[in-house]
Amino acid sequence: MNRSRLTKVLLPVASFVILLLLWQAVVVLFNVQGYIAPRPLDAIRAVSDNWSLLSPLVTQIVKETVFGFALGALIGVFFGVVMSKIPAVQKLLYPTLVLSQAVPVIVIAFPLAAILGFGSVKPIIAIVVWIVFFPVTVSVIDGLGHVDHDLLNLAKVYGASRWRTFIQIEVPATVSPLFSGLKIGATYAITGAFIGELASPEQVGSTGSSLALYVQHAESNLNSPAVYGITLLMAIIGVAWFLIVAGLEVVSTPWLRRTTRRRWRRRDIATSQGDH
Amino acid sequence: MTSPVLLELSAVAKTFGDQVVLAPTDLRIEEGSFVAIVGPSGCGKSTLFNIIAGLLEPDTGAVLLQGRNVIGATGHVGYMLQKDLLVPWRSVEDNITMAAHLTRKVTDADRLEARQIAQKYGLGEFLDHYPKALSGGMRQRVAFMRTLVTHQQLLLLDEPFGALDAQTRLDMQRWLLDVWRESGRTVLFITHDVDESIFLSDRILVMSPRPGRVVADLENPLSRPRDLDVLTDPTFVALKSRIMHLLHGGER
Ligand SMILES: Nc1ncnc2c1ncn2[C@@H]1O[C@H](COP(=O)(O)OP(=O)(O)OP(=O)(O)O)[C@@H](O)[C@H]1O
Ligand SMILES: [Mg+2]
Repeated sequence: MNRSRLTKVLLPVASFVILLLLWQAVVVLFNVQGYIAPRPLDAIRAVSDNWSLLSPLVTQIVKETVFGFALGALIGVFFGVVMSKIPAVQKLLYPTLVLSQAVPVIVIAFPLAAILGFGSVKPIIAIVVWIVFFPVTVSVIDGLGHVDHDLLNLAKVYGASRWRTFIQIEVPATVSPLFSGLKIGATYAITGAFIGELASPEQVGSTGSSLALYVQHAESNLNSPAVYGITLLMAIIGVAWFLIVAGLEVVSTPWLRRTTRRRWRRRDIATSQGDH
Repeated sequence: MTSPVLLELSAVAKTFGDQVVLAPTDLRIEEGSFVAIVGPSGCGKSTLFNIIAGLLEPDTGAVLLQGRNVIGATGHVGYMLQKDLLVPWRSVEDNITMAAHLTRKVTDADRLEARQIAQKYGLGEFLDHYPKALSGGMRQRVAFMRTLVTHQQLLLLDEPFGALDAQTRLDMQRWLLDVWRESGRTVLFITHDVDESIFLSDRILVMSPRPGRVVADLENPLSRPRDLDVLTDPTFVALKSRIMHLLHGGER
């Protein structure tokens, strides 16, 4: 078990290190110019050397990502449940929702910012929500639509109300599919926040007040180590957020990995007269 | 020894589209009896159960349980299928108390009963296990306990052992007979296995397809308690031959 756990952590980390090494090798071997692609160490240094400047910007984009994700997940679950339970609403909304995702986010980002107010955080959150809610809605609709019909019939035979059937059977049966949607949303959330920051700059200055503006500024200055370094950092944040959500999934679906229920979930009965 | 009639169907019929699935059917089931239903696939056995359980409404006829009309109502029978329908996210204990979870607040008395029944029938050590850790036979046993603790007098069992291997099935049949004797319930039991129908029942209903109807209502003369020897008893063999002919046609 220790060994499998070790490989579970080590292999992904190793693949990441190998990626960095390959990057370094390509840049050195083919003598790529620094402004096209910097060496990974230079990119990392471009972030670490400016950390005092960058850290509030990073904190800000993480907040936008997390908050937008949470809101998007809530809205996604709400739409998924309502659309599953009311077929007319599903017929009405589903095509529009698909359409909303077929439009490039970049295109709607600026009108959205204009409507919700340039320079405010609202359009940024709105774009993260826009990106996150859709996979969540689709996965909830799928999950609720695939609950075993015989099981629902059994609940009916017992005389269960629709509400109790929903809480006791449909909701737990949808946990796993829901997390598929959440994990997709978690991966894309930071991209949404970045696009949002581009569309809704909080103030215009020489370096910008958001990570996106900082990158834009670095790009125009051909400061490619900073561009690559921040890209790398955002990738790491995206992966970390994905891992956190995946961890939540593990915690909330113990029956998939465990043989027995967790100890603290077991109950003692006061009047128990077990015969041991 | 005439027991009161628990369930009475009169002229119950069901049509799906232009297919008559159940011709007008009359049926009287006595309290405490074990009645097996055999019939070819598609003759309407499950449809009959669904009507009794309240999942389907018949086109015509009446369904009386203890004299009360139950058409379109639910919550008055125990019901079990070939699929165990245990929910993977609940422990064995919580699966046994599932009917309570679905209809009201679960009490300590419910939990206690679940633990006692599991202990009594050899699953006491598995109360905290998730269903995936159980064998097929154990799962069916849990599903049956779940049906028992609903405290319904009438149990509808639709091919409950159909998916088990022959060895496990025989064990389950003997176990079911024990539980039935102790619990005093009334059992309606659908099966494709003629041996099983004779081994378990007091009475066997043979159905024919298109339209589905009861073509024979046979008294099972074998005495109880029964054990494996009964499978080679001449009475058993004669009854089996009779049912086989009814099911597959040919000379009597
Ligand atoms: N909801 C439904 N809509 C239309 N036809 C149905 C429906 N339910 C059952 N039928 C049809 O009714 C007939 C009887 O079905 P039923 O499930 O009662 O058969 P059965 O005797 O239980 O068969 P088996 O032994 O295979 O379980 C079948 O031809 C089936 O296709
Ligand atoms: Mg059937």
